[in-house]
Amino acid sequence: MLPRAGARSTQETDIATDPRSAAPSPDAVAVELTGVTKRFPGVVANRDVSLCVRTGTVHALVGENGAGKSTLMKILYGMQRPDEGTIRVAGREVRLSGPADAISAGIGMVHQHFMLADNLTVLENVVLGSEPRRGGLALDFAAARRKISEISTAYGLGVEPDRLVADLGVGERQRVEILKVLYRGARILILDEPTAVLVPHEVDELFDNLRELKAEGLTVLFISHKLDEVLSVADDVTVIRRGTTVATVDPRTTTARQLAELMVGSELPSPETRESTVTDEEVLRVEGLTVRDAAGRAVVDDASFVIRRGEVLGLAGVEGNGQAELVEALMGMRRADAGRTTLADEDVSDWSTRRRREGGLRYVPEDRHRHGLLLDAPLWENRILGHQTESSVSRGPWIDRASARADSTRIVEQYDVRTPGIDTLASALSGGNQQKFIVGRELSGDLSVLVASHPTRGVDVGAQAAIWDHIRAARRAGLAVLLVSADLDELIGLSDRICVVLRGRIVAEVDPSAVTPEQLGSAMTGAQDDARGGAA
Amino acid sequence: MRRWDVRDVALGLAAPLLAVAFSLVIASLVLIGAGDPVLSTYSLLLDYGQRPRSLALVLNAATTYYLSALAVAIGFRMNLFNIGVDGQYRLAAMTAAWVGGAVTLPTGLHQLVIVLVAVLVGGMWAGIAGLLKATRGVSEVISTIMLNAIATGLVAFFLRKVAVPVAGSNNIGTAPIAESGRVGGLPLVPDSALEVFGFLPVAVLAGIAYWLVLGRTRFGFELRATGRSESAAVASGVDVRRMVVTTMLLSGAVAGLVGMPQLLGASYSYSLDFPAGLGFTGIAIALLGRNSPIGIAFGALLWAYLDVSSVILDIEGISREIVTIMQGSIVLSVVIAYELVRRYRLRAEQSRVGRELAQAPRAEVAA
Amino acid sequence: MRQLANGRLRLAAAVAVVTLGLAACGSDDAGSGTDTAGSEEASDIKVGLAYDIGGRGDQSFNDSAAAGLDRAKEELGIEATEAEAGQGESDAAKEERLRVLADSGHDPIIGVGFAYSAALAKVAPEFPDVTFAIVDDANATGDNISNLVFAEEQGSFLVGAAAALKSKTDNVGFIGGVQVPLIEKFEVGFTEGAKQVKPDIEVQSVYLTQPPDFSGFGDPAKGRTAAQGMFDAGADVVYHAAGGSGSGLFEAAKAAGGLAIGVDSDQFETAAPDVQDVILTSMLKKVDVAVFDFLSSVSEGNVEAGPRVYDLEQGGVDYSTSGGMVDDIKGQLDELKQQVIDGEIEVTDPTA
Repeated sequence: MLPRAGARSTQETDIATDPRSAAPSPDAVAVELTGVTKRFPGVVANRDVSLCVRTGTVHALVGENGAGKSTLMKILYGMQRPDEGTIRVAGREVRLSGPADAISAGIGMVHQHFMLADNLTVLENVVLGSEPRRGGLALDFAAARRKISEISTAYGLGVEPDRLVADLGVGERQRVEILKVLYRGARILILDEPTAVLVPHEVDELFDNLRELKAEGLTVLFISHKLDEVLSVADDVTVIRRGTTVATVDPRTTTARQLAELMVGSELPSPETRESTVTDEEVLRVEGLTVRDAAGRAVVDDASFVIRRGEVLGLAGVEGNGQAELVEALMGMRRADAGRTTLADEDVSDWSTRRRREGGLRYVPEDRHRHGLLLDAPLWENRILGHQTESSVSRGPWIDRASARADSTRIVEQYDVRTPGIDTLASALSGGNQQKFIVGRELSGDLSVLVASHPTRGVDVGAQAAIWDHIRAARRAGLAVLLVSADLDELIGLSDRICVVLRGRIVAEVDPSAVTPEQLGSAMTGAQDDARGGAA
Repeated sequence: MRRWDVRDVALGLAAPLLAVAFSLVIASLVLIGAGDPVLSTYSLLLDYGQRPRSLALVLNAATTYYLSALAVAIGFRMNLFNIGVDGQYRLAAMTAAWVGGAVTLPTGLHQLVIVLVAVLVGGMWAGIAGLLKATRGVSEVISTIMLNAIATGLVAFFLRKVAVPVAGSNNIGTAPIAESGRVGGLPLVPDSALEVFGFLPVAVLAGIAYWLVLGRTRFGFELRATGRSESAAVASGVDVRRMVVTTMLLSGAVAGLVGMPQLLGASYSYSLDFPAGLGFTGIAIALLGRNSPIGIAFGALLWAYLDVSSVILDIEGISREIVTIMQGSIVLSVVIAYELVRRYRLRAEQSRVGRELAQAPRAEVAA
Repeated sequence: MRQLANGRLRLAAAVAVVTLGLAACGSDDAGSGTDTAGSEEASDIKVGLAYDIGGRGDQSFNDSAAAGLDRAKEELGIEATEAEAGQGESDAAKEERLRVLADSGHDPIIGVGFAYSAALAKVAPEFPDVTFAIVDDANATGDNISNLVFAEEQGSFLVGAAAALKSKTDNVGFIGGVQVPLIEKFEVGFTEGAKQVKPDIEVQSVYLTQPPDFSGFGDPAKGRTAAQGMFDAGADVVYHAAGGSGSGLFEAAKAAGGLAIGVDSDQFETAAPDVQDVILTSMLKKVDVAVFDFLSSVSEGNVEAGPRVYDLEQGGVDYSTSGGMVDDIKGQLDELKQQVIDGEIEVTDPTA
């Protein structure tokens, strides 16, 4: 995710020396959010978000996937209404109950996925929905064309009104989207991951356009998780983590590494007596595991590791480097193209998910809504999920309802799942309580290996600590754990060893007791030299 | 068990009752528009439907509808849309009638063979759609619609081959099944000369089996889990492809039973005028009954009652389409009503969770 | 997933409703009801007429039966109650329809179409004092059942001969609505008639649908497609026994410059004016006459149970001459007709 981190310093200079970046009246505030909170049942949203965007600046909002960026953006564009907190635009408090309100407040949004009709011209696309009328009825295309040309020239967008959108490239389409927003009178532009669809030279062009907009006194809110880009174009950077804004920093004095730490959480975990429970009894051995995507590219590339009884092996890496595929292959949910997996001295490479689970492999999935729960089913039925063949919930072909219910009650009590009862639908619980229930379920019965994928993502801090405690306790009891996470605290605090995965390969192994979050962060982004110091 | 359950039941009943009420309103408006008397139409439907003979007819029709809806519901529980029950039961009934008419076996065995053939043919025909979906990803909606058309052609073709011509008749059908293969009626309704299909207990048993298999077995759990979330089912170790095939086989097998009450209890032969379209009625009733064995039973009885009562309408000079309008609006409004109730329930549940937890120590807000 | 589930549910509902809608379309309003026609001599006869699917307004044999009933109401002053069958209903429903009619004092009761055969055979013995009649079926028999059946093959034989005489390409066609034995009688007669005149003539034959799909009797688009195919394949005269689908044949004939032969009623009279000139003749199957005859014998009190065959001799089937297109071959046709009546030519009845 940070492939061009090294290029940052030169661009930083660009910004610093750009006379226009000083912008008109740098102290004026375009948008201010105070104490904004948005709750959704069962999912992390925004908690006490505060954000101050200065007029005439490019303000970047960075955070991991799922950190709450999109909810915040939707609140700003009127697509979601906050439960608490205030939004001020140009000093005036506003209530946004729909995109129309946002537009009239001067806020415009450029979506990641373009919303243009291919078979219409640029002009038609731009006026679509706000058609210029003459005398109330007839469309006044001439006026619209004039206005588009004016805007295009003023901001250097280079958009020709009469071209067919179908003939335009991706970068041009994005400029049409920007123009569309400007045409509606926006003074504040929200750009949602605008570079995700662009090739490098288009990114550069986009940034030139943004600087142009800024120079004309417009304000840009730029959402991204690509740190090098953020540092090259933004005047201010606000980091959002776990639904709340954790810091606003000046890109000129901040490094990509520091930003990454802010994003994943850099406070060191509470000191823990790290008594080792690692034995020399090998439980899980993975050799040469390779998974290819549809295009034949190796997304997991020759991964090999061993986990022993009582050991937590952390798998560190920036998301999208093959962790999800590795976990799915390990669970038998995805076919491995090569490699051998041994579970307690048995070759399980050809085993189905069911057999692997029966063999003692357990799974806390990354996406609990998709893979961990039946949202429409009561908790006690969710107790059965994944454990259908275990004696604790079934007898032969029959479901043992009584035991399943009794064991659900046990989990609810033992794992402090906050719920009115076991007949409550899973979807009614908060994310943290859902996750605690899943952890409790997966730690039940006869198990030898737990594969925990981002086990505390999107859960509140209380639940996070509880889940960590449970994993530690299970480790003491002899469980082997594969912990996949992008949270450095979690990795360093829980793991006995950490493997770093980059582009599907395990590129380094580090000792968590000897590594700093900075070193780990570097290793994750491919700047391995710094991390070598901690390599075991 | 808890206070909540009472409310649950009330909410569960609210949706279908609302839907029926709504459909009555629609039907009344249509009646008024057509210039037919509203109240006397309903009292006509009520009176006629309560005659002993009508009640027997209702039970007979409901038996068939119930089996059809069960077949559809099995697929629904897994998010599989078996629209092909119609073709499955017609092909199954034709084959079973042919086999049944061709063999002579002792009573008991004869019926068993016929029913077995029907179940196998129905299952096999639905299994094709299951296999196509599991191996090639073909939507079962498309494939079962196509299989319906193919079944129509096959039935016509084979009927022509095996049919016994009846002198002076413009109908053709398979050779009639001998006495030993028929299922006698049950004198369930007092004062009615018409007996109820001897197959009715079989339908009841099928309902109990449905409830047992889906609600109480591991297989049923996995089937429902797959319907609720395929991704979660995969992660829990369910082999979804196999599940698709098995479920379609099962749905088709039950579909095979749909034609049996009529075949073994009334017509004893598959002919050109063998009832068609029961598979589609099954879809509507499964929706109405929310895939629950009890709900479907009520749905089937209501549907049958309306169908049977409609006979009196045009004889009395009232357009019988009023019944079709009622049935259609019941299905449409029940889907909407269920969705509304579902949302209401979820919101109520969430706010209840919130309320109860607010009283608990607020450790979670510590951050 | 939830979204998907809901989407599916809605789809299911939509399909269910569309299906119901189709079922409803299949039975255009019967225009039913008890009504007494303004008659000179009021009679105390109350006839119950049970139609097959389609009912009054199906432009086919149900309509023909309705015409006979209307004439009886007019001329005999009888009362009538009409009812029609539902899509895909079972015999039990038909029995019930007949029973309700009998219970409520209707006598006589007429079942229109062979579908009433089993039901009538079962119900008639329960009401020995009521007179029953069934159109197009000789299988349901009893002391109080009259079978009104037609020698469709004989009428079809004549129009087959007409087609062969008029064909310049020695290639004619037959379109059946639904492949049931009744319609096969039309086909067999037509083929034999054509071969009688020109032994080497080619007869193309196609059925629009297979039971239980009876849409072939009411789908002009299907009829048109089938007819176009036949004209393209060299036919120049095409005969249909496909009810409402026949209008598609007329359009196709007009477009291809060919000729068409109508069925049941004199379609020269009933077809749209712009296609009148392609209608060579029609095979008349006088269900209306049969129904009227039956009702008038009821009113005169001399009903006979058992089959009453409406053939060429009786005038129950015939060919039409309106439009004048068969005037030049009328002599030959009438000669053939006489030969059939005299038994010199025997036309095959496939259902016999």
